[in-house]
Amino acid sequence: MMWPFDASTESLWLALYLVSFALHAVLVSYVAAGTVYALVAALRRSADPIAERTRDWLPFLLGAGITAGIGPLLFLQLLYQRRFYTANLLMGPRWGAVVPALILGFYALYLAKASEHRRRLALGAGAACFGFVAWSWTELHQVMLDDAGWRAMYAAGERFHLDAAVLPRLAIWAGAMLALFATVAAWPASAAERRRLAALALTGLIICGATSAIALAIRRDFDPAHGWTYLLGIAAIAAALGWGWTAHRPDGPGLSVTTAATTAALLAGAVVREAPRLALIEHGRATAVGSGGLPVFVVTLAVGAAAIAWVVRTVRGAAE
Amino acid sequence: MSPIDSPIAHYPVNDFGPLMKGLVIGGVGIVHVFLAQFAIGGGMLMWYFERLGQRGLPDARTFVDGYFKVLVLVSFVVGALTGVAMWFTTIQVGARTIGLMIDEFHWLWATEWVWFAVEITAGYAFYRAGRRLGGRARLRLLALYALASWMSLFWINGILAWQLTPGRWLDGGGMWAGFFNPSFLPSLLFRTAVSTTLGALAACIVINTMDLPRDRRAQLIRRASRFAAPIAVMPVLALWFAAVLPGDSRSWLLGGSMAMTMFVGVAAGASLLVGGYVIAGLIVQRLYINGATATLLLGLAFGATAAGEFVREGARKPYTVRGVLYSTSIRPDEVAALRRTGATAADPYPLRERYPGEQLARGARVERALCDACHTMRGANALVELTRTWADDQLRLNLAKLQRTKGFMPPFAGNAEDVEALVQLLRWERDDRPAGFAAPPASPETLAQIARWLDEAGTAAAGEPR
Repeated sequence: MMWPFDASTESLWLALYLVSFALHAVLVSYVAAGTVYALVAALRRSADPIAERTRDWLPFLLGAGITAGIGPLLFLQLLYQRRFYTANLLMGPRWGAVVPALILGFYALYLAKASEHRRRLALGAGAACFGFVAWSWTELHQVMLDDAGWRAMYAAGERFHLDAAVLPRLAIWAGAMLALFATVAAWPASAAERRRLAALALTGLIICGATSAIALAIRRDFDPAHGWTYLLGIAAIAAALGWGWTAHRPDGPGLSVTTAATTAALLAGAVVREAPRLALIEHGRATAVGSGGLPVFVVTLAVGAAAIAWVVRTVRGAAE
Repeated sequence: MSPIDSPIAHYPVNDFGPLMKGLVIGGVGIVHVFLAQFAIGGGMLMWYFERLGQRGLPDARTFVDGYFKVLVLVSFVVGALTGVAMWFTTIQVGARTIGLMIDEFHWLWATEWVWFAVEITAGYAFYRAGRRLGGRARLRLLALYALASWMSLFWINGILAWQLTPGRWLDGGGMWAGFFNPSFLPSLLFRTAVSTTLGALAACIVINTMDLPRDRRAQLIRRASRFAAPIAVMPVLALWFAAVLPGDSRSWLLGGSMAMTMFVGVAAGASLLVGGYVIAGLIVQRLYINGATATLLLGLAFGATAAGEFVREGARKPYTVRGVLYSTSIRPDEVAALRRTGATAADPYPLRERYPGEQLARGARVERALCDACHTMRGANALVELTRTWADDQLRLNLAKLQRTKGFMPPFAGNAEDVEALVQLLRWERDDRPAGFAAPPASPETLAQIARWLDEAGTAAAGEPR
């Protein structure tokens, strides 16, 4: 089988983790980057149809993003249970603050949608909340890897993990979020709007590329991840070319090309992100490996996907 | 040794100050359960009202659209996020417990996740496009929403019920034997009845906010109150639930532990008040209910839910998973080994505080490992207050024979030196941490006596695992 997958149960969890994580990333990227985009538009007081549509969809997509996030959260607990729980406990209440931050962000998005008067304040609060959550997740990721530092962190009662890798990771995520937001937002957009979104996406891709290049130059730890890193690079370049094509001919096939390339880059990126900690997967937990219920999940997944497809079709039919 | 390599999963322990950890998870859990059950009952109720509207009941459709807005704004946001918070707080309180639950039931949890995704999609679709949809599509969408939210309950209920009554799973019956455990069905039906009641009470509040003449609101209220009728069977379901509980758990609810009995009383009393008003007042007498009274009844229902959840959590003691994992996150089969090695020999985490002397430091580590999950030193369920009046030997005896001291306590999972260190720590704390405190060295006779008491108590829990 293709690396990093094999015939083990852990590999199935890994595959489901990566796919559900990618889906979650699309939705939360739309929310985080979309909130900042709508905030900038509100501050500039310009009539911006992209911002208007974004504001309209933000609450639903945050709900969908959080729901989609439960999947990777579940599989993460199977793959790296003791690391994940330890990192949760070490960061303690400061980690738990992501929940009230998300609740606040959620209501801020509803307020931004409903009240023009409080829009800038609401979007600013939402952006701050989502920034805090992104930062917290990045820190948690780093704490999970740093088992050598756990004892000292606990003894000091330290709730923050100011690792040198946190900022570059956040910068790469910020760039990726811009590109993902632009890809989703471009489909219902007009020709002129697509040109603007192309510029936004290219900015995001440049941020990703430049930050990755600087980090690699400093750390000198390039990991080809069995070719996935090259695939990521090629897909990102293809996405950038697709955006260039879209900017040149907004109604042409450029957007389809860029969407396909961005999807490939997202999946490859998820594998590359995972590669350094694959060796840390906790194998051999007999209870988890031997647990039943997989057929029920597979059938429910098929039924659930069909039900969601029916809902989308029903609602689109009503819109038409 | 890295914490990851330890055979027993040792996790860093957080101190929540005067707040008992159970209060933290209880607080989040009660809000989540209340909102989730409201969402389930609300979904069923809206399907019912939509059907009434399509059969000619005036204002029903307006009510459905208004009610759904409340559901989305309250339940979809706070309800969904407190679900995530439940995971995070459970990790804080009992990482090993949630880890075991995930290991055993992850495919069912993933199944529940799919239903939750369907629920959220159907709900938001109705919220955004409901007004534009035809009657048939609206009805189907609401039916899907109601079904998905109830299916979510179906799966999570089995996992939670397994914690209290694992049933044949303990005999190696497998995951399904654990899921369809003795308390699965009474618990599922009970929660369904609670859901419809909460949905109906919330409906009465929403109806009172509608800009309609009183007689038209009364008509809607009469229909909504019928939906709360299942509250009438709740006493039977509660008795069924009590009947399948392990004998020791049942005895604590019925007088064996006064605190637990009082929680049962609060849950039963509040439910009786709500049920009496609904059945006698709203359904039989067809009384009108204003927004204030409906809010009061919903508040009582919240109180009943809170007390009921405390009862469910408390009834599991001394386990978090009956027969499998004690509230100390130690397995029954590990107790004997810890009696030999000491409770904290493999605990890799240092203390955050300095103590005057090695014995007090050891006591603090023992307290962190064996007591901290359910007790605080000076806040809620405070160790200092629980043991203040005990003489030293009484304290040694009661700790060594912990499961005999109180049937809902787990066996002491440490050796004689651990008991003595904990005794000295409690004395030091009781005396307000005197600066010059010098813990007397434990005499060999004292340690030998404690060891005899530990042996006499054995390593098993007081009650049978089932």
